[in-house]
Parts: sequence; C-alpha cells; structure tokens
Amino acid sequence: MNGLIKLELTRALRNRKFLFFSVIYPSVLFLLIAGSADSTQKVDGTGLTLPTYMMVSMASFGALTAVLMGNSERIAKERETGWVRQLRLTTLPGRGYVLAKTASAAVVSLPSIVVVFVIAATVKDVRLDAWQWLALTGAIWAGSLVFAALGVAIGYLASGDAVRPITMITYFGLSILGGLWMPTTTFPTWLQDIAKWVPTHAYAALGQAIEQSQAPHAKDIVVLVFFFVLFTGGAAWLYRKDTLKA
Amino acid sequence: MTTTPPVVAFDQVSKAYGDVRAVDGLTLSLRAGETVALLGPNGAGKSTTLDLLLGLKNADDGTVRLFGTTPREALVAGRVGAMLQSGGLMDEVTVEELVRLACALHPRPYPVSDVLSRAGIARFADRKVDKLSGGQAQRVRFALATAGDSDLIVLDEPTTGMDVTTRQGFWATMREQADQGRTVLFATHYLEEADAIADRVLVLHRGRLLADGTAAEIKAKAGVRRISFDLAGRIDEQALRGLPFLTTLAVSGPTVRIQSSDADATVHALYGLGLHPRNLEVAGLGLEQAFVAITTAEEAKQQ
Repeated sequence: MNGLIKLELTRALRNRKFLFFSVIYPSVLFLLIAGSADSTQKVDGTGLTLPTYMMVSMASFGALTAVLMGNSERIAKERETGWVRQLRLTTLPGRGYVLAKTASAAVVSLPSIVVVFVIAATVKDVRLDAWQWLALTGAIWAGSLVFAALGVAIGYLASGDAVRPITMITYFGLSILGGLWMPTTTFPTWLQDIAKWVPTHAYAALGQAIEQSQAPHAKDIVVLVFFFVLFTGGAAWLYRKDTLKA
Repeated sequence: MTTTPPVVAFDQVSKAYGDVRAVDGLTLSLRAGETVALLGPNGAGKSTTLDLLLGLKNADDGTVRLFGTTPREALVAGRVGAMLQSGGLMDEVTVEELVRLACALHPRPYPVSDVLSRAGIARFADRKVDKLSGGQAQRVRFALATAGDSDLIVLDEPTTGMDVTTRQGFWATMREQADQGRTVLFATHYLEEADAIADRVLVLHRGRLLADGTAAEIKAKAGVRRISFDLAGRIDEQALRGLPFLTTLAVSGPTVRIQSSDADATVHALYGLGLHPRNLEVAGLGLEQAFVAITTAEEAKQQ
C-alpha cells in the first residue's frame, strides 16, 4: 500500500493547479482579507484580531481544499475508467485505495496549513504561544479527516459529469456557511443559527478556541464527530455498493 | 494420495442481470500449464465469466475456486495476474511509475526493467499513461498482469485496439508466458487468435459452454459452409435432405440454402443427384454464424 500512497503523492505534487488551490490560494485569500485590516481591531465576540481569526479560517480552508477537491473527482473518474477494478486484482486490501487517497491528501493539507501560519506570523505579526501553534496545526490537520471522508463519499456517490458540480457546491457551501471566508458574526441571525451546525464552522471554532487559550466547545466536538461518523459511514456504504456492482 | 486442485474450477456457476442470464450453469476446469482461449461473440458471457473467476462479481449460484481457494485468496497470494478488457489505468503518472506500483503490490515481483522489456513497453516507459495509444495501453495492462511470478495469467481481449501486425507481435509475448509453464486464460472473439496461441479452446455462447477442445477441433466444428443455389422446376426436398454433410436446409421459391460441414462433398453429391443448380455460391460462415450453427447442432442433438 505504501507504493500506492507514494504514487498518489507524486501525482498530487505534480499537479500544479491542485497545489496552487490547496497550498498557495488560502494564503493569498488571507492576505486579501486580513491585509488591510488593523492588527488590533477585534472580531465581534471573539476577542481575536481579524488576522488571528482569519488565519485559522484560511488554514482550515486550505486543508478543506486539499482533502476534498482532489479526491472526490479522482475517485469518481477512476471508478469510471476501471482503475479501481484493476486495483482490486492486486494484493491491495479493499480499503487500501481509499486510505492511500486520504493519506496523500493529508500530506498535501499539512503545508497548506503551515504556509498560512507562516504568512500570518511574518506579514501580519500574529503572535501565539508555542503550544498554541502546535495544537492549532494538530487540530486543523486532524479535523480535515472529516472532510476527507466527505470527499471519498462524494467520489463514490457521483459519477462522471455530476461529480465536479456536486464537489464545488459542497465546497463553497461549506466554506461560506462555515464562516471560513468571513466571520459568521457578520451573517444575519437566521443564517448564524444555521451556520452553527455546519461542520466547517465547528472545525474553525476548534482552532479559534485554541487561539483564545480555551478548551474547545463540547458542541463543536460533537458536531465534528457526528459528521465524521456520518461521512465515514456513508463512504463505507457507498464503497460496498460500488464493489458489488462492479 | 493428495491431488492438486485444478487451477480454475467452476461448478454450476450462474450469473444473471435482470432477465439476462450472462452465465448459465457453467462448469469448467483448467489444469496447470494449459493455454486456454475463451472464445465467443460479443455478449456470449466472456467478460462476466472472467469477472466471476477474478472475484470481481459474485455468482448467483455455484462456486468458483482458484487453486482450491476463493478468487480473492488466490489474488492476495499473488497467484493470479490479470488484465481487464477496459481496466482503466491511473493517469498523470508515467508508464514506469505504474509498473513499479504493480511490482510493489506483488508478493513475488520481477525487476521493473524486466517487466517493461518483456511487455515491450521499455521504449515509452517515461511517457505519461494518458498519452498512450490504445495498443500501447493494452501492453501496459499486460505489464501490470505480469509484474510478478503468478501461476495463472488472465487476459480479457488482450489485443483489442491493436492492428494486425502489433497483434501478432503480442501473441509472441503471450506465448512466452505460456512457455514458462504458466496457465494462461484469455478471452477473445478472434478464432485466429485462439488458433495461434491456445492449446485448448472453450466456446461460450449465451453463457453456456458449447464446445471444449483443441483449436483444430473447434475450427472443424465452426468450419460449416453455406451453400446456396437456384433450381428450376419442382424441388424435391426429400432428396436434398439426403445430401451428405448437410446440417440445415431451407427452401424459398427456387432458392435453396444449405449449411454443410463439408461443402465439397455436398456439392459433389448435389451434381450426383442429377440436378442442375444455377447461381451456385459457397461461402464460409463468420464466427458469429458458426456459433449459431454449432448451437443449432447442439440443440438438435439434445432433442
């Protein structure tokens, strides 16, 4: 299986478009949004400056891009071309294909998190304790698994032409509703009520709690665990259905 | 005394898609070292048979065993190398990278360079997989199927997308696998291909095994010829039916259509009856029609 992870990774690192959108683009967005902001101005009700707040949002956004965008489309396509069937004729265990995809996405999502941090610290003077940097990296990285599972589920759900629009809608929906592009505090109240239950909102809230030196809210953890179980279960069910059909 | 289980054993295997019986009570057994062609027209059930054999599909009825184990167990043990008809390839990687992966996944891999050269793809090993022609992609699939020391090689229509010259070159590559003592099973709808490589031919039609024999035997069976001619005056069907080697007879108006397993003898006897056929035509049957001829003969035998 290591062979497949290595090859998936080689392929991902070779894909400039994918690397740009998952590693560079979040940092560019960060600079656009936080660039002109006053470094002392606080985001409503968080006690965090806008750059500090947006740093977590954009790191989460980058990780989301890395784990969601590439995999769903690739899986759908490779199911269609028969590569998935060909792999089933090897010694690779059934889940190896999905695990290799997830593992390679996780490798790309790490730099997309770290690059945002480095830019935020050097350009916008975001200062945190050492444990906070480490905890943030770990939390955002681990949390991205929720969306990696979603990417796999979409890859097994949609086929051919449908997978791209479905991925895009999901991706933008999660990014905007979860408040990754702008704080949800700027939303109308009714939308804030919805946003609270969106997994990306809980995901970013995890990082913000760390920035505020607080323990994460139990509700956010529950939301993330709920969606992780939902997406993983869905992916596993769709995978099995696909295997029987093939 | 212990007996080695057959390489492949199908026991009363059936698989249906809705109302269509793709494989219908198939029983067959392959022994070690055989080179076997699975011959049949499109829709005969060849691909489904191979899918069942490789464990990609589960049979509705019956059992499939490879080396006395389940297909999956045999695959995990690295005893089977397989190439699917339209088995996709991972794109955005080079041929060599893909072959290296196949070697890494095999428990008893061959060196990557050996696999590349044996499949005849060393020349374009650096090329991206998505930039290959149909025939080149087939060779890459073949390389994936032969990346390690497997006992059984399964190839589903391996020469699809190859022109005549490339096809014959590829047969040599397939024969090499057989010469190393492997059991090779390949599906094809070219009688010529079966004839060139296989020492045993299984003819599949509508999911059933119609014939099982050497290529020569099958060819003789499929060697039915079609004879048609016109006769003036009243046609004595009874006399025509007595013609030697005749398998079917149809009369419409002045035209008589006959199928014969030995056209020369039949035509000779036709003149011997004192008849004067006009517009006489003798033509070979296409493989597809030959299958129909064999089926008709089989069904007649059963009645």
